[in-house]
Amino acid sequence: MSTGAKKRIMKEYGECMADTPPGMKINFDEQNMTEWEVLMDGPDGSSYAGGHFKLKITFPNEYPFKPPVVSFKTKIYHPNVSNDDKGSMCLGLLRPDEWKPPNKVVAVLRLIHNLLVEPNPDDSIEPSIANEYKENRKEFDKNAKDWVKRYAK
Amino acid sequence: MTAVDLDDERAEELTTLQSIYPELTINLSEPPSASIELPVAPTVPLPVAFDTEAASHPLSHLPPLLLEFILPLGYPADLPPQIKLSASPSWIPATVLNRLMDEGRSLWEEYPGMQMLFSYIGSIQEAAESAFGLNNLQLPLQLKDPFLDFNSKTKRQMFNQGTFECEVCLEPKKGSACYQLERCGHVFCIQCLQDGYNACITEGNVNNVKCMAIDCGKATGANEKKERLLSPKELLQIPLERKTVERFANLKRKKKMEMDKTIVFCPRSWCQGAMRTDKYPKITDVTQMDDFYLQDDEPISSTPPQDQAQPELTADGIEKRPGGITSDRLAVCEDCSLAFCRTCLASWHGDFVFCAPRTAQELTQDEQASLNFIHLNTSACPTCGVPTTKSYGCNHMTCFQCKTHFCYLCGAWLDPNNPYRHFDDPKKKFCYRRLMDLVMGDQADDGARFGGRRGAELEAAFWEEEARRIQDEEDAAAAAEVARQA
Repeated sequence: MSTGAKKRIMKEYGECMADTPPGMKINFDEQNMTEWEVLMDGPDGSSYAGGHFKLKITFPNEYPFKPPVVSFKTKIYHPNVSNDDKGSMCLGLLRPDEWKPPNKVVAVLRLIHNLLVEPNPDDSIEPSIANEYKENRKEFDKNAKDWVKRYAK
Repeated sequence: MTAVDLDDERAEELTTLQSIYPELTINLSEPPSASIELPVAPTVPLPVAFDTEAASHPLSHLPPLLLEFILPLGYPADLPPQIKLSASPSWIPATVLNRLMDEGRSLWEEYPGMQMLFSYIGSIQEAAESAFGLNNLQLPLQLKDPFLDFNSKTKRQMFNQGTFECEVCLEPKKGSACYQLERCGHVFCIQCLQDGYNACITEGNVNNVKCMAIDCGKATGANEKKERLLSPKELLQIPLERKTVERFANLKRKKKMEMDKTIVFCPRSWCQGAMRTDKYPKITDVTQMDDFYLQDDEPISSTPPQDQAQPELTADGIEKRPGGITSDRLAVCEDCSLAFCRTCLASWHGDFVFCAPRTAQELTQDEQASLNFIHLNTSACPTCGVPTTKSYGCNHMTCFQCKTHFCYLCGAWLDPNNPYRHFDDPKKKFCYRRLMDLVMGDQADDGARFGGRRGAELEAAFWEEEARRIQDEEDAAAAAEVARQA
């Protein structure tokens, strides 16, 4: 990784510290600055309220010319997060063809926060969950809350 | 000539003025005088036409106005200052200059006995911002180059003196370390532009060589310009290395030709050049390739393709074809000049020979090897057939060239409205729950390999072979047993 990329990651970390999006905590290891651990509280009023989610943000060597990779380490019942051991996300500015270098991690964190408040079933990675979210909101809420209790306490 | 007393009101006015305008030169001998060059930078660029040219050039920087004045004994109480305005070369109409000079006198009359030079300079500066009320300007042709030159040099100078925060590295950078993109005006530091574009071009991702700003070209407003690739000429200005820019231009040309079904490539395996064609002229000089070349929505050539319905005939009545070629099947390689048949890909056999398209059995060893490699390591776009490898990300692919959505694992076309359903269908055994397989790319460090879109077939072939081998071994063992017993 180039020194420019490292500098930018440091800078972004500084910005995140000065203005951390609400309900988030970032664990940063200077020895391994390309992997951030983010602890995110489920937003109040959402189906994920009361849950604590661990995420990993990995910066590729080509950062910021390629997007960071986001994965949920805590299982979550969500149409935009893959329901497997990877917990991957692949939408919006996280897609390599949508990403632009001036985009920042803060924007990524905000995107995730907003997706917890309001999932995007039209660009889903888990179609069955997306379908449930659209067709049977009650059942979806029940399942999401159930998973929070089981995995995210 | 005697110097004026420093307590003299005139000397006092000039020295005060100089502390405000350090570029003011003053001469304190009797009568004291001073001069200053005032920049002319109209806020709305002034359209200037040279000679009888129809097109005018909007200029935002024009050569400065020189203001000279002499303060006679008796100024400011009894006498007005002697004012002289000029421009070199003289481009401001005399009527305008006279009006401005008269304004100086009336300003003195308006405030009798008062020091008026500061407000006079202010009023001229203000007038310069509106180009002294001029709406357009007609100048002789010999001033064209110096004026255009002055305009761009001053612009560059102002730009260089500024400071910009590069949105990519997030560092504040001096203007001289930055570059402003021609079409949209977004500014980035040269280092970041070079890093980003060099990476794109090295990877072959030429369709990403466009402005990096987040919202550039996204808005649909009438004033917003569509997002476009940078021109080779501009890439050289940033600057990128000529070799890189040539690669960019050639790659983009090649991509366009590969998308074009009418273009065939030289059958000589060491050459593989494209056939000669007027549609995609060979790239010779990237320094001359400016915008609207190479965009996806426009052909490379500026001449319209010949009308197919009415083919032009040569003198001997043979239909003329692009590239000076006179037969349907004849193609000439633009690199090695081999004449070959575009149907059977053999060297040219003349017009009267029947030939059939070449079949896979006729491939050379090299061709077969590269074909095998392509089968094993790429997935073809279901629409345009371009072989794709995945360097990174999930298995929902969007084609580089034609934007088709497809599955990297099995090559199936995916519905752009719901591309992920494919990976959630238990009936699709090969792809079910495998959206995120090989997320870090084909040859990622966990040793997993893609195996090609034909992976399943190859695996089946392998096991078939394996079963045959085991069977053979068993047969041989049985035969040996029979022999031993006998």
